[in-house]
Amino acid sequence: MDFRPVMAGLAPLRSRGRLLRPTAALLILTGALLSCGQPHDAPATVSPAAPPAVTYESHLLAGEAPVPGASLTNPHAGDAAVARSGAALFTAMNCDGCHGTDGTGWVGPNLGDGRWRYGRADGEIFSSIYYGRPHGMPAFGAALGADGVWTLVTYLRTLPAPADVPTESWQD
Amino acid sequence: MRFRRALASMWLTAAVLCGNCVQAGPSAAPGEGEWTMPSKDFAATRYSTLADINRQNASSLHPVWTFSSGVLGGHEGQPLVVGDTMYVVTPWPNVLYAFDLTREGYPLRWKYRPEVDANALGVACCDSVNRGAFYADGKIVYNLLDGHTVAVDARTGRELWKVQIATLGNGETTTMAPLVVRDRIIVGAAGGEFGIYGWLKALDLSNGHTVWSASNLGPDEEMGIRADTFRPPYDQGANLGTQSWGNDSWRTGGAPVWGWMSYDPDLDLVYYGTGNPSPYNAEQRPGDNKWSTSVLARHPGDGALVWAYQFTPHDNWDYDATGAMVLADLVVAGRPVKALVHFDKNGFAYTLDRVTGRLLVAQPFIPLNWAQSVDLNSGRPVLNPAKQTGVSNGNVKNICPSLEGGVSPASPPAYSPRTHLFYTSTSNLCMDYAVRHARHLKGTPFVGVVSPYSAGPGGYLGSFLAWDAATGRKVWENREPFPNWSGALVTAGDVVFYGTLDGWFKSADARSGRVLSKFKVGSGVVGNPITYRGPDGRQYVAVYAGFGGDWALIAGDARSDDPTDVRAPAEPTTQIARHTSMGGMVWIFAR
Repeated sequence: MDFRPVMAGLAPLRSRGRLLRPTAALLILTGALLSCGQPHDAPATVSPAAPPAVTYESHLLAGEAPVPGASLTNPHAGDAAVARSGAALFTAMNCDGCHGTDGTGWVGPNLGDGRWRYGRADGEIFSSIYYGRPHGMPAFGAALGADGVWTLVTYLRTLPAPADVPTESWQD
Repeated sequence: MRFRRALASMWLTAAVLCGNCVQAGPSAAPGEGEWTMPSKDFAATRYSTLADINRQNASSLHPVWTFSSGVLGGHEGQPLVVGDTMYVVTPWPNVLYAFDLTREGYPLRWKYRPEVDANALGVACCDSVNRGAFYADGKIVYNLLDGHTVAVDARTGRELWKVQIATLGNGETTTMAPLVVRDRIIVGAAGGEFGIYGWLKALDLSNGHTVWSASNLGPDEEMGIRADTFRPPYDQGANLGTQSWGNDSWRTGGAPVWGWMSYDPDLDLVYYGTGNPSPYNAEQRPGDNKWSTSVLARHPGDGALVWAYQFTPHDNWDYDATGAMVLADLVVAGRPVKALVHFDKNGFAYTLDRVTGRLLVAQPFIPLNWAQSVDLNSGRPVLNPAKQTGVSNGNVKNICPSLEGGVSPASPPAYSPRTHLFYTSTSNLCMDYAVRHARHLKGTPFVGVVSPYSAGPGGYLGSFLAWDAATGRKVWENREPFPNWSGALVTAGDVVFYGTLDGWFKSADARSGRVLSKFKVGSGVVGNPITYRGPDGRQYVAVYAGFGGDWALIAGDARSDDPTDVRAPAEPTTQIARHTSMGGMVWIFAR
């Protein structure tokens, strides 16, 4: 039940100078996860070729029944050097072109307010970047590789959320 | 049956009450009481001959009807009124509403909900805007944000055709209103922040098929430049669209089209402006970067380029030239001129000879410091070397105007042949500008800038002003506490109409600027007012309220619809969220 595949050992999905197509990347990711083993209570109908069932901590569960699957764990969590690399990636991959300087928000949402549209867990942020999201977030999985995405996640985790986000007041 | 009879009697009444005005029945030819194209007429004047609302009585202007578009996002653009129907296009997802103006409460005749790719929201640089529709040949024609153009039967709301003209994956979105000339629909794509290869296309009005496509940069052959037709006023030479771009940078050079177009039937020329060159780091694209930040004149029949003039060679500041090109016949220095007048993001107002493209007048309409002046002989700006940007110049401080422009290109001016004045919104902002080497990765922004804003000189952030384009002089100016982002409307009643970013809709005396009426419309105005004569014979004024258009300007703290996106106010518009929030309303006013 507490199965948490660690993707630290996963090689970047992008070989230098060549972008893998998303389907190819997905298959590699699938293989990597499967190599970590199947959750023991996974339905028997899941074929080995199917994508891994990633669970999202932020989702409501119908009937409170847990969905078979796994969470993703950030191999670089808390690593300050990796976070610095992530800050450089954030501009190099044009993330600031939508999310603004230092992720403070522009046409894309603020990433530094401590709030997350698609879940706050590292693995959920990983999914948002790797696979993209509707309403405009591109899928960076093939361009960045899994390790590149974790590097970004590690950086985003260091953005200082303001202490008093919900209230904005004005004085004359 | 009964309804039809009532309608007929209403038309008759209107005809009696309204002696010399053109009746706008469902099958009537476009009349002065209608508003059938985005800028009112081909000359893009946004001037109406209606004068029932005038300087003497505009103080009694009051709202008579509202409707929620059901959509948030910058409500740029304007409604159309054709016969007894009003048409409204929303920001993404680009719903088209048709209101029956003959019945109490203006119920919908129909609404059209196209399928529009949500991924477009991540490719549109700045917001989910749409700048409106065009009526022609019984069709409402407009662009969807995701790179499609549609034609909808104006009577039934049925989709007649839908064609893809632009590619999201290439960084292209379609926010502009089309221009229809004869059987040609002229359209372009936005994407100056995504390194697109900018172009203009003509579609067949009957089926949407592309008739011609011409690029705004690149080799002469792709630009529609031929030796026998191309007569540029200043720049000579072959393939300027590649030769003026070092490092082959023209291939991802931007020069998008997302503003307002105009057309001179006598010269048979379509005029339109191009946006910024990509990326923002000018050192990645040495040279003039023609024909970005330019006005281009093409024949609509075959797309042939006749002349082009570049307002900001080698743009260092994101000074798009996509603002309106207004056509007016002026007397400049004692000589009658077929003129083209353009308020540029770079802060200069230009008066050109629209036959040749030669520059006649260029004067600042807001405080600026990136250039000293514009040399009328060469047509080129006299630059301020201290305000040149690029990676090697680091963080360049206090450049005026900011990259929001002296006026937003989304906010078109108006011209009155009665006062001989042009009316425009302005933004009075400055910026610091630090660029980095930008990497082109398709589907992601190709920008690379940090550019915080500050208030411009004088302690105000924007204004609405009247301009004499024959002499290049400001005649009057109403200062506003925030950058002003609405378009202008002027009428034969000598009343000018505009909205403000903090949500006031105002009418003013076109000769003095004295405010005659104002009403708080609930959300900031970034759309363009129109006027029309209703089926009941009365003159109405309509405008959208719907704050947005550029998330850098509105600071993000005006958003309330997403609990996972909470932002601090941004300088210098720290007070804006106190006065307005996002919205989407259609307002109609009468006296």
